[in-house]
Formats: sequence, structure tokens, C-alpha cells
Amino acid sequence: MAIRAAFESSNEVGVFARLTNAYCLVALGGSENFYSVFEAELAKHIPVVHSTIGGTRIVGRLCVGNRHGLLVPSITTDQEITHLRNNLPDGVKVQKVEERLSALGNCIACNDYVALVHTDLDRETEEVIADVLKVDVFRATIAQNVLVGSYCVLTNQGGLVHARTPMQDMEELSQLIQVPLTAGTVNRGSDIVGAGVVANDWTAFCGMDTTATEVGVIESIFKLQSASAGMQSALIDTMM
Amino acid sequence: MYKFKEIQTIPPAKQLVDIVLSKTQRKTPTVVHPGFKITRIRAFYMRKVKFCQTTFNEKFTKMLEEFPKIDDIHPFYADLCNVLYDRDHYKLALGQVNATKKIVDNIAKDYVKMMKFADSLYKCKMLKRAAMGRMCTSVKKLTGSMSYLEEVRQHLGRLPAINPATRTLILTGYPNVGKSSFMNIVTQANVDVQPYAFTTKSLFVGHLDHNYVKWQVIDTPGILDHPLEDRNTIEMTAITALAHLPAAVLFFVDISEMCGYPIPIQVALFHSIKPLFRNRPLLIILNKTDLRKLSELSPEDRALIDSMADADHGGAAVQFFETSCASKDGVDAALTKGCELLLDRRVEQKVKSGKADSLRNRLHVTNMTAPVNRPPCIPSSVAQQKGGDGNTAEQEQHEKLERERMEELGGAGVYSVDLWRRALLEDTSWKYDVVPEIMDGHNVIDFVDPDIDKKLEMLEREEAMLMAETSLGDDEEVLKKWKHTQGFLDELHSKMRQRRIERKLAKSRNGNPVTRKKMKKGSEVEKELNEKGLDGAKVRGRSVSKGRKDRDSSILGKRKRDATENGEDQGRAESAARMRSVSRMKGLPTEKAANDVEKVRRKRMKLREKDGRKGEGDKWVPDWKPKHLYSGKRGIGKTDRR
Repeated sequence: MAIRAAFESSNEVGVFARLTNAYCLVALGGSENFYSVFEAELAKHIPVVHSTIGGTRIVGRLCVGNRHGLLVPSITTDQEITHLRNNLPDGVKVQKVEERLSALGNCIACNDYVALVHTDLDRETEEVIADVLKVDVFRATIAQNVLVGSYCVLTNQGGLVHARTPMQDMEELSQLIQVPLTAGTVNRGSDIVGAGVVANDWTAFCGMDTTATEVGVIESIFKLQSASAGMQSALIDTMM
Repeated sequence: MYKFKEIQTIPPAKQLVDIVLSKTQRKTPTVVHPGFKITRIRAFYMRKVKFCQTTFNEKFTKMLEEFPKIDDIHPFYADLCNVLYDRDHYKLALGQVNATKKIVDNIAKDYVKMMKFADSLYKCKMLKRAAMGRMCTSVKKLTGSMSYLEEVRQHLGRLPAINPATRTLILTGYPNVGKSSFMNIVTQANVDVQPYAFTTKSLFVGHLDHNYVKWQVIDTPGILDHPLEDRNTIEMTAITALAHLPAAVLFFVDISEMCGYPIPIQVALFHSIKPLFRNRPLLIILNKTDLRKLSELSPEDRALIDSMADADHGGAAVQFFETSCASKDGVDAALTKGCELLLDRRVEQKVKSGKADSLRNRLHVTNMTAPVNRPPCIPSSVAQQKGGDGNTAEQEQHEKLERERMEELGGAGVYSVDLWRRALLEDTSWKYDVVPEIMDGHNVIDFVDPDIDKKLEMLEREEAMLMAETSLGDDEEVLKKWKHTQGFLDELHSKMRQRRIERKLAKSRNGNPVTRKKMKKGSEVEKELNEKGLDGAKVRGRSVSKGRKDRDSSILGKRKRDATENGEDQGRAESAARMRSVSRMKGLPTEKAANDVEKVRRKRMKLREKDGRKGEGDKWVPDWKPKHLYSGKRGIGKTDRR
């Protein structure tokens, strides 16, 4: 199931939340409505943690993680790291990364096995990613964009990339990541899928403006429900 | 799509005439005199005629623009208009309006031309009257067309908003077979359903969401089986929809025969309108199965129904669905199949037309399955929840959500979330332990002095005592110093004030008080005059000497004569002074004195001129624009003073 949510009337759920298979970070906001959307869906299975990174609420864009670990940028304070360590399961390593590109969520896209990273990322950071997240790291661009984290969402079952990604590129990326990929939009035509959707292997959350067709694409690529046959025809019929 | 609702009201012809004439009267000048120049009179009346013509023209043009042109709109709407309003009648009415527009234009042109030769106000007026009269007469001839167009407008505005290009399902069949009931089940349209034929008299539209997209369902009136020429308007609307909309057709057959039409007749209808279903997905809905099942039919009827399957329409097989609107059996299956068939056909067409190429990457899913050694990682609790979904007991005792807590404890902005409540620690009692705060590798607590508050308090007390001590001794000295300073300040301020006043005085001359010289004493004047060789005593005149001198002789007049006679001044009487040029000498004895006086006068005047005072000698016009010269009637070409 893909669930629609909005953080204080912003549709960019991926900015204010970070969802993995082992935990979910949610920004500390003025109201608990956004948190409770995640809590109601996930709290029985994985911890849903209120957090800030360096005092900001844009946790989804600043940190990156999977079920093995969590990388936080250099601006994170010690208290915040302690809070994360105390709230995350024991198997999850929390590691601070001294990296010039501090918006790790924008620069890195990963699932539990593979990570795509920004082409200019430090070599040390690359090693840290490989060690902490236990993934194979590939430097890549998506539709000529270096911000792979903004323009792509990955899970172990599938991936959604920028709508203008050429088919050739998609095939190549798919070979790297070893999951099916498709191009799509969220929030009524927004290309920034990383900000519009957060997904893990059994659920996804998208912005309030996401259309039924977009939700359909998200659900079928992330295998959140059995894909229906009419999906593709509906897409053709609406987009033309 | 089309904006039939936005056509403006058409007034009846008579009212239109009134509207235009009163507008002409209101918006053009009304005063004209026989005395005016003839060109002016002509212009006055020409303007009226032209204005009237333009107003008519605008009204008619708007009408012609707003009404849909039958040849330009979608063939479905064109045919619907033909059925409902009669194409010929409609075109004729619009044609008449157009013709009248031209007639009015020509009348105006002719009369304006004629008016150029009119040589009096009366003739101009009569021409204008004739022109307007003829225009109005021609417009009044439109009465029939205008009222017809108004009716059409009202009807057009109420037509359902059918989009001929979108995904559409059309429900059709004999009257009273359950089309409207089906419509009410699948959409929210809430169409009137009654147990008699022809309840639905026009097209109705409903919308539904299916397979991620929106669908339009059109409920049509029932059709009877007779030749096309004999069909009435109500049936024809249904035929129009069937003929022009590229939709999936759901043909309803009432197998219970409760509608009053036996199965053979219904099947005959199907065969007669079969050509309309060509190239459209076709579903045959065998309705009202709650009353009689398909299996309960007689073999003849069964054979008839099976005969519908052979219908050749574009190669695809006809689909049969048994439904019941009462029990809602089979409705969903029929709907799904209908949508699926239509969507497939539309997609096929679009792909064929090559439009899909630009979107190919959006539709493409890379052919890759995650390898076995990289399984998805889904917690067992999720799988459990998905497997046994109806786990009500667990659902009931679900933990309170953070939002519910927030609402209980004051709502957003008041509630402060407990960040440590869900902490995963070995010992739950550690949750609310104070966490050491580390800064630059040092524990902040190491640098905290526990007695800091006490020390601060002592310091403050000490300071207060010191302050009290110092403030006791030096009261007088401070006061003295203060006074000293105050004196300085006062002096400074008074200087500043003075400077300010001086500057103010220097700045403007107007309004400054004029310093006057001290008045001279009488005696001084006398002395001065005597020095200049004048009789100073005369100036003293009545003031002192006269009173005293003449006191004794004041009772009698002409005393002086007597005095001379008395011999005080025995010589010849002073001869009369020769008349001198008064203008040159200004009544002064010598020219030099006159010059001196002039010099003094000039000097004095200089002061006065500096003052810029108004004087008698200044030029003064009491009123530059006297009212009586600038108002009232004017003759031709005389705008200056009369």
C-alpha cells in the first residue's frame, strides 16, 4: 500500500522522513499528524523515531541509511547521534560522515545491497558507505543529474527514477542495481521522486498531491500489491 | 469542451428594439438648434443613425459568435442539435439574424449618404426617423427566430457535459430494461428510475473511477424497434450517442420480459441497430436475472439470444453478462470487462498512431528480477499482518497513537512529544537518565561548578553593600558638580537659541518687523528748516506758538492786516511769488533744494522698495477674469471679450 501524507502542508514527504526496512526517521514538527501517519503503519514492525539532524527538520535529505546502518552528516550534534543510537535497533550502526556534500540524502540512493552515489563524493566517504551500509557503491547520474538521491528511490524490490531517464540509461542502472526500474513522477507531475516518495520493501508514503495513476505506478514498481494488467493502458490513455 | 452554458440571453425582438433605441438616446447628444451650422446638424443626426446601427450590429454579432456553428462542432453534438432543434430551423434562424444584420448596416449606410444632401434640420431629422424606423421594422421581423434561439439557448445550457473524446460507456436497449438502475449502481449520477417505459427522456452522464482513470457513463433513453424515419426525438438522442461516440456499448436485454417487450422483439432491435455497434466494444447485458435465470429460458429464446453472438462487428466476439441490478450480481464483472475492452481498443489506436513513442520510457519497466541472494527484507510481523488481515482483537488493543496523545494533552503547539518513550535500551529505567553533554571532546559537566549559584549570590550581596557605602559620602560634591555642569549647559543652550533666532531673521526679509527711526522733535524740524532757508515757525503751526501768539487777537479775524497797518512792517507788501514749474521744483524754493529732496526721496524709497510693500502707485487690476465677461451665451467664433 502506498499512503498519502503531508508534512505541515508540504507534499515533500521524502524531505521530512527517511524510511528503511529496519527503522524510520521522522522530522520533529509542530504537530504529530505526520508522525502518526508513519506510526500507525509501521510502529508494530519497526521503530519510528522523531529526530532532527543538526537542528534541522530535513532529516530525509541530510541522512541516508538501510537496515544495516545510518549515515549522518558532519553537522549532526552529539546529542542527536546519541538519541538516534538509543532509539534505533541494535543491528543498525550510526556513523557520522565528514563529507563536503552534507546533504547525504540528495547525494546517495541505496537499498540493502547497492548504493548509487554522487560522482564528486570523497573516496573516504565511499568506503564508509560500503562498510557501514554493507553495499556495493556505484558512482552514477540519473537523467544527467548528479543528485541521485533526489531523482531516484530504491528498495530491494524495485526503483523509481526521474521521468526523463532514457530507456538505455534505465537498463544500465538496472544492471547495476539488480532490481527492476521504471521512470515516473509524483505529486501531480513532479520529477523529484526522492522528495515525493519514501518506500521500503512492504510500504510506501507519497505526497498528498500524488494522483491515482502515480500511486498505481509506485505500488506496482515497489511490489506493494499485485500489479494489475490495466496499469499500462491506463497510463497510455491518460498521458496522451 | 464547448461552452454552451455561457451563451447570453436573447431578448425578444421587440425588447431588443427598445434596448437599442433607448441606448441610442442615452449615449448620443440630444440638443440641436435650427440655428446651428448645417454641417453640425448633419453630424448630429448621422451620429444617431450610425450609433443605432453599430449597437444592432454588436448584438447580432455576439449572438452569431456565441451559438455553436453546427458544421464546426463535434459530429455528436452536431447530430444532437439536429435531432433536438432541427438543423434546418437552427441554421435558418441564425441565417436570418445574419441577414438582418446586413440589412441594418445597409439602411444606415444609405441614410447617412442621403443625409449629406439634406439642407435643413427638419430634413435631417426626418431622414434619421426614417432610418431608425426601417431598422426597427427589419429587426421586428426576427421575432420568431429570436424566440426560437432563446429556447435553443436554454436547452443547450442544460445539456449534459459529455466529452466526446474521453473514455465512455453507453448503456442502451429497449425502454424499461434497467439501464438507469445499472447507471445508479456504477455511478453517483442518481438518475430517476421508475417502473414504466421512457422514464429517461434525454441523455444522462455519470462518472466513475476504474483502473486508475475516470470513466464517463451515458444513460440513453430506450429505443423501440422501428425504422429510423419513424423514431421520435427521444429515441434519436440515443441513436446519436451510439452513432458518434467512440465508446463501449452495453446493450441491455431484459430476459425476465418484465419490461413488457418479449425477448424476440428485443433481439430484433439488436439486429436492426447492429450497424451502430460496428468497431465498438460490445457487451450484451442479460439483465434482471433475479427474476428469471438464463437457464430458465425456453430453447427458442435461448437460441435467439445466442444469435446475437454471431453479430459481426470488427472481428471481436460479443460478450454476454448475466446481471441483476436488484441484487447487484454481475454488475462489476460487466463493468470491468467493458472498461477493459474499450481501454485496450483506445490504447491500440494510440499506439498505432505513433503517439506513444515519446512516452515509451515512462511505460518501460526494466526486465530485471532481483537475484535470489538479494531477497527483500520484510519483517515476519508484516507478513503475519497481511496474511491474517482480520485480526480484530489485535486491532482493538492497538497502542495509542502520538496524534491521539497530542489531542488529549492540549493539541498541536501545546503538546511536547516525549522523545525517549520508545528508546530501545537494555534497562527501561535508563530511559530518562540525564545524558552527558559532550562538547569538543570534553564532558560539559566536568566544567560545571556545583556551588556556582551560591557564589553568585554572595558576590551580588557584596556588590550591593559596596554600592550602598559609596553612595553615602559624596552627595554634596556630586550636587555641586552637577550644578556647575548645568550652568555650562544653560549658557550653551541660550547661545544656541540666540544663534537660531539670528539665523531665522537673516533668512527671510518678508515679515520682519521694520525698525522705525525715532520721531524728530518739533523744535528740531524747525531748526532744520530754518537752516535751509525756510520758515521753520510755520511748521510749528498750531502746535505751540500759534496758540500762544494769537491768544490776544483770536477773537477778531484779519488781525494781521491791522498789524501791518500798524506799522510793524511798513515796506512794500511781499510780492506774489512767480509761478514756477511745479513739476520741476516740487514747490521748493531752489533747484538744488529740489534735487536734494529728490535724492532723499530716492533714498527713502529704496528702503521702502526693499520692504516690497504694496503702494498706491502699484498697478492693480481688481479682477483678471470678471465673471460677466466669461460666462453666458457666446456667438459663433467669439470666445474673447465681448
